[in-house]
Amino acid sequence: MTMTMNKTLPILDVKNVSKSFTLHNIDGRTVTALEDASFVVHPGEHVSLAGSSGAGKSTLLRLIYRTYSITAGSVSFRLANDEWVDIAQLSDAEVIALRGREIGYVSQFLHAQPRRSVIDLVARAGVSRGMSTADAHEQAGYSLARLGISRTLWDVHTSVLSGGEKQRVNIAAGLISPPRLLLLDEPVSALDPENRERAIEVIADLSDQGVAVLAVFHDLDAISRLASRIILMSRGSVVTDGPVDQVLPQLTPGDVQP
Amino acid sequence: MGRTEMTLEATVNSSPTTIAELVGHRTTETFALLDEESKREIRRALLQAVCIPGYQVPFGSREMPVARGWGSGGLQVTLACVGADDAVKVIDQGDDEGVNAVNLRRLVTMSTGIDETTEVDEATLIQSRHRIPEDDMNENHILILQVPVPEPLRGIERDIRELARMHAEADYSRMWVSLYEDKVRNGVITQSTGYPCLVASRYIVATTPIPRWDIPRLHQSKFLTLFGAGREKRVYAIPPYTDVEPLTFEDVPFEVESADGATCRLCGSSDSFLVEMPGKQESWSCSDTAWCRRQRNT
Amino acid sequence: MTSIHVPSPIIQVRNLGKYYGNFDPAMIDRTGPEHGTARDHVTASIVAAWGVNFDVAAGEALGIVGESGSGKSTVLRCIAGDVAASTGDVRLAPFEDGNVNILDLDPSARRQLRINTLSVVYQDPAEGLALGVTAGGNIADPLTAAGWRNFGAIRDRARELLARTEVPLDRMDDIVRNFSGGMRQRVQIARALANKPPILLLDEPTTGLDASVASGVLDLIRQLLEELQVAAIVVSHDFGVIEMLTERCLVMQHGRVVEDALTDQLLEDPHHPYSQKLVAAART
Repeated sequence: MTMTMNKTLPILDVKNVSKSFTLHNIDGRTVTALEDASFVVHPGEHVSLAGSSGAGKSTLLRLIYRTYSITAGSVSFRLANDEWVDIAQLSDAEVIALRGREIGYVSQFLHAQPRRSVIDLVARAGVSRGMSTADAHEQAGYSLARLGISRTLWDVHTSVLSGGEKQRVNIAAGLISPPRLLLLDEPVSALDPENRERAIEVIADLSDQGVAVLAVFHDLDAISRLASRIILMSRGSVVTDGPVDQVLPQLTPGDVQP
Repeated sequence: MGRTEMTLEATVNSSPTTIAELVGHRTTETFALLDEESKREIRRALLQAVCIPGYQVPFGSREMPVARGWGSGGLQVTLACVGADDAVKVIDQGDDEGVNAVNLRRLVTMSTGIDETTEVDEATLIQSRHRIPEDDMNENHILILQVPVPEPLRGIERDIRELARMHAEADYSRMWVSLYEDKVRNGVITQSTGYPCLVASRYIVATTPIPRWDIPRLHQSKFLTLFGAGREKRVYAIPPYTDVEPLTFEDVPFEVESADGATCRLCGSSDSFLVEMPGKQESWSCSDTAWCRRQRNT
Repeated sequence: MTSIHVPSPIIQVRNLGKYYGNFDPAMIDRTGPEHGTARDHVTASIVAAWGVNFDVAAGEALGIVGESGSGKSTVLRCIAGDVAASTGDVRLAPFEDGNVNILDLDPSARRQLRINTLSVVYQDPAEGLALGVTAGGNIADPLTAAGWRNFGAIRDRARELLARTEVPLDRMDDIVRNFSGGMRQRVQIARALANKPPILLLDEPTTGLDASVASGVLDLIRQLLEELQVAAIVVSHDFGVIEMLTERCLVMQHGRVVEDALTDQLLEDPHHPYSQKLVAAART
């Protein structure tokens, strides 16, 4: 593990985290998806998770978000008041309170949403993070415009959007009034080059705003442009953790496959 | 209530208090048709009814020499209340000379020897079907109404236990819904006779079958009103000086019946409850015949 | 305890239990998931639900999933007061500041709670509506129960609720029996919301509706839950419904809670064998 340049306190401290699944209905076998992973993330850092399919990248994101329960180890998160909490030990209600405002998760899919207009959906995400309705609407419009969602689509229901449009709406909602830690799971996978470019610019801005980002991308270009550090994973373990210029040359195209 | 007490006292006094009296009593004809036990039972029910205004009190309705549904409930109440000093007036649709009124009045006077009258002033007990006399009544009067259907919620709920629960909890929202539906469908609340009223802000009663015209007379009345339903075996009461509010919405005023410009063809009155003469359209007369007669004579 | 602010519970359920038949303390250990049945073979009693605990906060919807006979509807009906619980402690913050176990109240007081504290939306609209009464009249019922006596105001409120639940206003004065299943369900929801209750219980609210109709009703419920910030319990056998409406849920089997989890965690990482079986079945 290399020393980070960052002098500030980390926001996330993952220690010896493991995850295994017990499949009761398939002869009770146990499958280990992650073993003994440790790393830290600082505010303003953009950390890319790399590794081949099945390396445990998405598993790691889901553990931090607590979509997966944590089998062993600790996932310490520093609250805005500098108190450290172990996400592995939090009650479900505390996790819900932490989600959205403190920790965000943007997947490659737009989550099932009720019939609601595009702008409403994005603005609502802002309101849920404490923005006023008016501010949220203004900011939502700004974000959508930046992501290339034309104004004519703002008041349609999300259900009629294309896959790429949905993904951009998802990014807009995930990034409005951004949480302090953002988990991105292949957020630009369905975008054409032009819109992908826009999305990457928006994501790059997060680092300037001090948001800690932990991301999985499936292309080297995005990683090279966004990441300040890369964690390379293989078969459920962290293999390398270092600055982009050191780790990037080691990556093969297989390490960024979805 | 003074008169009620007097009446009850008078009846109690007529009961035997010694063995000798009892023997003598047994050999004489029973006062007011009913035996003393029956009258006591009905009076007990009536006292309970007066104590809980609007609450339907069950009672052991007796076989009467009139068929149930022909005023047997009202008759039993009258017979239970009547004392030797009373004078009785009986009307049917406001008419002292209706066949049923005449029969009932005859039964009361013959079994008690008390006076009969058509004048409200002279009467102490007024048994009625369908009307409250137009004349002012006071603390000396007991109005006894013959009731065919005592249950105001009958049209809404059939289950007796559920009805009891609704009354017990004053759970009357379905009654309000029926008024709402009536207003929505017909533009007005169409219920005419037996309009549902809230008594003493607690129980809803059926005012069957008096017309709307008479409803305001029940509110804060000086007289006691007793309701008797023989077939349904229920009595209930509105004591003097009790609030009686016809159920209606704040913005849908309760209105009494009126026929524009109609006057009684006999006495010329326009401020009494008028009914159309049978078979003659646009020909009206007072429903209260005694009152009408007096209007003509003064 | 952490300094993370967690909203205080509106509904608090402790050791809720319901059995049918005679009680024998030993029957609790003879029934449940390990025995594969809720029916005790000794007493023939049925332990429909036992040892159920949970909290629900304002603005939160808690899901209860399970197959029919798992006890999920029993739990909901015990809280609603439709079924008398055998044991337990249920407190509602809006009622007496949560100082009273509502299971101790007499039936009359329980019914009072249904006027403006707690509403239920049933799978079968006939349970929550008077089918022979108009849509507006069905809404007038809880309003008049709460003391509304102004016809115009009742009409206005009914119109507002029907518009919000997307019932065409020109059908306000039609009797509900003439409505489609989806429209009846919307009227039932409108009625349930009439007095702005802080607690809403939904029992299989979209089961039995055609898929497209169900998704519209589901959308509406989700929007209303977000908008009104009520504390809600959603009972369903359908993971789609639970996923759409809830953030936390319980899994019930043979009258017991076998797992409670964040809803996304239950769907992605179910722990109990029964939960895994249910999720696997839902995914195929």
